[in-house]
Parts: sequence; C-alpha cells; structure tokens
Amino acid sequence: MSGAAQTRKTAGPLEGAQIVTVGNPNTGKTTLINALAGADLKVGNWPGTTVDRLEAELRLPDGRAHLVDLPGTYSLSPSTPEEALAARELLLNPPDLVVNVVDAGNLERNLHLTLELTELGLPLLVVLNLMDEAAAKGYRLEPAALEEALGVPVAATSASRGRGVEELRRRLGEARVPAPQVRYPGQVEEAAQQLAATIEHPARRWLALALLAGEEPPLALPAEVRQEAARLRRELEKAGIDPYLEIENARYARAHELARRVIVGAEARLTLTDKIDRWVLHPLLGGPIFLLGMLLAFRFTFLFSSPWVEFIGTVQEVLAGWIAALPLPPLAASFLADGLVGGVGTVISFAPVLFFLYLALAFLETSGFLARAAFIADRLMLLAGLPGRAFIPLILGFGCNVPAIYATRILTSPLDRLRVGLAVPFMSCSARLVVFTLFAAVFFPEHAAWVVFGLYLLGMVIGLLTAWVIGRAAGAGPSSGLMELPPYRLPGLRVVLKQAWARTRSFLEGAGGPILLAVLFVWLLLNLPPGDLASSYYARAAGLLEPLFRPLGVGDWRLLGALLPGLIAKEVVVGTLAVSYLGAGSGAPLGLAQGLGQIATGLLGALAGTLSAVPALLGLPQLAPPSAAAPTALQQALRTALTPAAALAYMAYTLLYTPCVATLTAIRQEFGRRWALIAVVYELAVAWLVAWGVYRLALLWLGG
Amino acid sequence: MGYGRRNNKRKRRRGLGGGGRRLSELPENEPAVVGFLAMRGPLRKRLLALGVRPGAVVRVVRRAPLGDPMEIAVGDTLIAIRHAEADEVILEEPR
Repeated sequence: MSGAAQTRKTAGPLEGAQIVTVGNPNTGKTTLINALAGADLKVGNWPGTTVDRLEAELRLPDGRAHLVDLPGTYSLSPSTPEEALAARELLLNPPDLVVNVVDAGNLERNLHLTLELTELGLPLLVVLNLMDEAAAKGYRLEPAALEEALGVPVAATSASRGRGVEELRRRLGEARVPAPQVRYPGQVEEAAQQLAATIEHPARRWLALALLAGEEPPLALPAEVRQEAARLRRELEKAGIDPYLEIENARYARAHELARRVIVGAEARLTLTDKIDRWVLHPLLGGPIFLLGMLLAFRFTFLFSSPWVEFIGTVQEVLAGWIAALPLPPLAASFLADGLVGGVGTVISFAPVLFFLYLALAFLETSGFLARAAFIADRLMLLAGLPGRAFIPLILGFGCNVPAIYATRILTSPLDRLRVGLAVPFMSCSARLVVFTLFAAVFFPEHAAWVVFGLYLLGMVIGLLTAWVIGRAAGAGPSSGLMELPPYRLPGLRVVLKQAWARTRSFLEGAGGPILLAVLFVWLLLNLPPGDLASSYYARAAGLLEPLFRPLGVGDWRLLGALLPGLIAKEVVVGTLAVSYLGAGSGAPLGLAQGLGQIATGLLGALAGTLSAVPALLGLPQLAPPSAAAPTALQQALRTALTPAAALAYMAYTLLYTPCVATLTAIRQEFGRRWALIAVVYELAVAWLVAWGVYRLALLWLGG
Repeated sequence: MGYGRRNNKRKRRRGLGGGGRRLSELPENEPAVVGFLAMRGPLRKRLLALGVRPGAVVRVVRRAPLGDPMEIAVGDTLIAIRHAEADEVILEEPR
C-alpha cells in the first residue's frame, strides 16, 4: 500500500476494537479465523495455561482490529476449564464486539449459546458457518430470517471454501447490541429484572439469570447482590418454580422457534459422517480399523521425525569434531562438546518428534477421528474408571511421554487429567526401548521379544492401576463417557501446522533450560575431579546407591550410575554404560570444510528420508524393534556384571523410575510444581518395589 | 476394578425415576421422547448443553463394538453416552 493511500484512509468505527469469536466446539471456528486473518494468524497459549490461543490483527474496511478466539463452549455456564476460560474472558474483559460462530447444520443447539450471548449487553454479529455442510445434510436456510428475528447482522459462510468471508469482513462494523430475545415465565422474568437493576455490569441480564439459576458467575459481585439473588431464588422455589429448569426451557423454546424460522426446507439425507461411521464404528471392523489408525499415526510421527533427529545428531558430531580441532585443554573441549553441544542437541532433538506427534494429534482431533477412537476404547478405559478419551494420551505415551502429558487436555475433568498425567510416565516410551533391546539381547537372546513385550505390559498395568487408585483415593464417582461425536472434517493444513509448531515451541521454551541444566550437571559428575571415571563424583554417587539396590541384585556402581543420566532421557543409560565399561572414545578432530560437507550430506539425507517416509507409511510395519548398535564388548561386560534375574529387575526399574526431565517439565507446566515432585517420589518408590518383586519372582523362576 | 458399574447398580436398586423406560434400554433406531433427567450435577448440565432435555426426540444409533457406550442422535448432534449414564435418562411413555 502506498503512503498516500494510507494517509487518505480514515479510521473506521472498528479502529482499535477488540473482537472475540465465540461458538460451540466443532463449528469450524478455527478455519473461519484462518480465512479472516490469513498469514496474520498467531497461535499461542492463554496466559498461565496451556490452552491454545488464536489471535490476529485484522485489516478491515472499518479499521484495524484485534481478534481473539475463545475456546469452544456449549454454554456460558461452564463445565470444563476451557469453557470456564471463555465465560471468564467475556465477563471480565468485555470485548467491543462478539462474533458468534454457529454451525448452520446444527442450528437449534448452537442458537442456545447465541441466546445467552444476546444477554451480555455487547455488540453482536452472528455467523452461520458450514453452510455447505448444512446443504449437504439437506437443509435450506434463510439467514435473513435470523437477522430479522435477532436484530443483529447475520453472515452466511462456508469458511473452508472461503465463501462469504469477504461479506463478513464488510459487515463486522454493523454489529449491534441485541434487544432481549427470550421471554422467561412471568415470575422468573420479574425476578431477573429486579435483580438486574442492582447489578453494575453490561451483562446484568445474563448475570441476574445465572444467579437465579444457582450458577457461580466468575465475577466479584457485591454481597448485597448475592443476598438479593438468594432471596429471590428462595421465593421462586417456594412458589414451586425451579429457576434453572425454567430458564433452560425458555431458552430452548426460543432456539427451537428461531431454528424453525430459519430452516425453510429439510430433507433427510445420509451424510458423509453417517457413511464413514458405518465402517469406523462397525461392530466387527471397528476395533481393527481403530488399531490401524493408531498405528498409522505412530508410524507417521516416527518415520517423518527420525531423519531430522539423525540430522541433528550429525550436526552435533560435526560441532564436536570442530571443537576437538581447537587448541583447548581436554577438560574444556569435553565441556564444550559433551556438555554444551550435547545439551543443546538433546533439547533440539525433541523438536522433530514433538512437532510430528502434535501434527498427528491435531489431525486426529480436528478430523473427528479422535472422538471415535475414544468411543471404541471407552469400555476398556472404564476398567480403570477413566473415560475413553484417556486412551489417547496413554497410547501417545508409548511414543514419547511429553506430548502425552499435554494430550491429557482432551479430557474434560481436571481430576481425570491428573490421573492420566501421573499414569503416562509408566508408558514405555521409545527411549526406554533402547535399554530393553540391549539387556534382552544379552540375557534373553531366545525370548527377547517376549521380555520387551512383558515390560510394555507391566508399564501399562502399573499406569492404569495408578489412575484407578488416585480415582478411588479422591473419592471420585465414575468418570463420564459423555461427549459429542463431531462430523468428520478435513482440518486446514495451515492452522494445524501453526498449532503444532506453537506447542513444540512452548515445550522448547519451558523445558530447554531444565534439560540443558541436567546435561551439564551430569557432565560435571562424570568429569570432576579430573582423572579416572572410577574416582569421579559420578562413581561416588553411584556407590552411595549401592546398599539401596543390593536387594534387587544390582551391585555394580557402573550400572547404578547410569541411572543418573537416565534422568535426561532414558536412552542415555546405554551410552553411559558404554562409556563407563569401555572408556570414552575421544571425538576425531574435523576440518571446517569437511564438517560443512557432512552437514550438507546430512541435510540432504534428512530431506530424502522425509520424502521416502511417504511410501514407507503405507508399507508393512517393521515389527522387530530397531537394534541398539551395541558393541559386543559392552554385551560381554554386562553378562559378567548381572544375573538374568537381576537384569530383569534392572529393566523393570528403568521402565518405571522417575520420568525424564522433559516429561517432568511437561507435568509441571500442566499440573504445577507440587505434582511434578510427587510424580518423582511416587515413581521412584513404585519402581523400587516392582523391581524388587520382579527380582524375587525371577529368582524363583530362573534360579540364582 | 470398574467402580462405575457398582454405583450404577446401587441407583437401580433405589429405583430412581419409577417405572419409566430408560434410554439405556431403547433399541436401536427407534425414536423416543426424553421425559426427564434423573441425575444432578455436572452430567445433567452437560446433557442439557448437548440438547438432551425433556421433550427432545432421541434415537439410539448404535452400540460400541465392546457393547458400551452407545451413540445417540438428538437433533443434529451425535453423542456418545455410557449405559450407566443413559440409565438415568428416563423416556416418556409412548402414547
């Protein structure tokens, strides 16, 4: 835009306005905002939470405005933390304009929220979105009828096709405060007006009704108002009126009436969702299709991320090579190469795994597949007193515990989130597999696969027991299996990519520091005082652990010591064992050009690997776990250090003991510092007890 | 395990809701009208928010492969609900 055009343009009525979008879940709100904002869309978190927050600067015909998307909600009387956030934001930071996004194919239920919004005393505009889907369902709609009835502008859009979005941008400036829409039964209406007159807030009508219904608005109200509300409520109840029910009924009756005016034609048609569900929820095929879908999501994550993890490893090696070529004392070079470069490398190598896992999760969630998976798994999860949705974080935990902790957010009750959050670290992530394959190959070469499978099962059982016990201890009733099964939809790629990246970045920001510190701390233990490893602080710390682990049959300080760096990431256990049994091989020095060449080759390899992951995704899954390229010298050293029974105990301990730093950071971000601490203590105790049990049982079975 | 079921049995014995037919007993693809919700608390609130309210027409679409939960259709909304929960949704007697 030229400077002249900018100065000519006058500030319109929306200049500097705060706009919020509100709507039921699954109304295509995110797609609509993406269409409105385009590249200006920003994805972040709500302050103090890990709930996604979408916002954008809008350049509108009526001026530049700021748009914030509120979490999807069925009602302003919340029943989940996300819904509470939406209600709080509307009442505590009243925006200049409310854009209510409505699913045109599900009018009656969506209009219930619209009617609540008309009582907030704020300028309102209603968007009938998903018009294309409504048409495919066999509905013919008359948006003008809704505009006439509500007295606020109504725009019809099909955001995924970009239809109607321009008109919406033009009409935002026309938003108006609606006149009262719902006539409540005489006595309720009277009480509401009487109470509203005592409230100083634009949303006084909504607040008065909420108080009469016995809700707790998230707002500091004067004591007189609350007393008056209680008095009026008692009076109504004395007259045999349940204010909550009467208010709900009046709103539903009005929503029904509005929907009937707007829908001018309806013929029942089989929707795409009906057709897909016939297969996905089929009594016999449903289970296998569900497992196949989960497998595909997993393979997607690991096939696409592993070339990039490898590339990061290459860069790390090159940097270490360059450092080795510098004229530095060995201790300083080791600090730079193993401590600093190693630490930063560990942090960054989380990024590809998390990014692709979040991508898979976002796809599952927005496509509607996740709700079906929960539907199918619900009966199994009920065994642990959990809702079906709990299956998703638990199964993600097998890939990596970190996104699994964040995925607990798809659960509605905070208690269920915590229960699953504490169960997730027991799910054996891919890092632990590296340890298991090494030990199983050394001690149980004939039955390696069964041993590994048994460990996975053990982790799962302990995790579910944990969730069950916490549920019982909290005295919670059975969790609810209630949820909407939204229509199948293709998610918008740009938004999904942005969401996945925002979550990955939020992890790196939160966990980067702690992981780096942990790596540096372990480096200090290993290298101080300078000299032999056997005389380092590391060996001394490991020696202190020895009496604690004697009942498990593990006495070698090198094995115990390796558990310490396992705090960083459990696969580090193997690397540390190799160093302490075989000694560290110092990195070969590398020239500048040589190193750059290696990085370039690595980058090309990663790109090629990503491309070749597309056909591999559809190929047969590789069932054998990738072998940890374990030096046979290490295998021999281990064989003399442990009995098979003690090896089982050691594997069980590695499976269950303290979550890694990254997972702990995720637990702290989601549930607070206290629960992160409790998780450490609890899991250390459980690991020891179970490992002891495994050892005693194995002794009986295998003999000393 | 499975303390959900035990709670449910207790309620059944108490005979909540009298003799009315329950949503959990409704055969597939046979529309019925919701009479009342015989529960309190967050579950009731959530059911109302999803459109399961007295007077609404409800239809059982299917039961999950493992028998529980079931999928119901209310208006244009598809909802997953456990049998234990649908037990407390009492249907109107057909006239």
